[in-house]
Amino acid sequence: MAIAVKLDDLLYARRMTLTELAERVGITIVNLSILKTGKARAIRFSTLEAICAALSCQPGDILEYLPDVAAEAEAA
Amino acid sequence: MPRSYSAALPIAHVVLRILIVLNWLYGLAIIALLVVLPHEQWIMVAFKIPPSPDAARLIMGLRAIAMLGLAAVPLHYIVLKRLLAMVETVRAGDPFVAANAQRLQTIAWALVAQQILSLIIGVIVRVISTPAHPVNIDAGFSVNGWLAVILTFVLARVFAEGALMRDDLEGTV
Repeated sequence: MAIAVKLDDLLYARRMTLTELAERVGITIVNLSILKTGKARAIRFSTLEAICAALSCQPGDILEYLPDVAAEAEAA
Repeated sequence: MPRSYSAALPIAHVVLRILIVLNWLYGLAIIALLVVLPHEQWIMVAFKIPPSPDAARLIMGLRAIAMLGLAAVPLHYIVLKRLLAMVETVRAGDPFVAANAQRLQTIAWALVAQQILSLIIGVIVRVISTPAHPVNIDAGFSVNGWLAVILTFVLARVFAEGALMRDDLEGTV
């Protein structure tokens, strides 16, 4: 997947644990963990909104497009 | 969930299990018939058929129908066994899986085979039936039968799409 989730970096910058974020956004820690490890296939706007509100950030701070990975996946 | 659904599944489960047993008994009954059918004299006496070319043709036709009836037993088994497996997945709360789409596809092909058998039996009945010895077997072209085939193929596609959607949903956070 050429979309990287930078939740780890954001949590570190905010000095927040995944459990705390899960409590704030009302999403199970299991689902947040799936998102954090890049295993999620899709993300709801409502989830994105809740995370952005809890971490005071923009969607672009959470997600990043990696063109190199996309090119590799296309070549394979 | 409506109460009727919770009752329907256990009933379907039991009925399908009974039908599987009855299907085997039906197969055994046909085998018994095929064992008896070679004794032409016995059949002719039982049905009060006088010896004639028509009688020989009638007995040949009945043998062929019995053979085709026997061929239908595994087809019924395929349908019933897969339906039972599908009912199990509904009871487990997860029916939209790729396996069920594949099961429905197999059921649809089994239904096609059953309809073809029915068509062949219908032709045989027409050939062997005479005014003196009418043969009344409910076989031949069936609009409902072919409609069931189409419906099952469509349902298989619906399940395949449903399974894909379910997969997508499972990966959605």
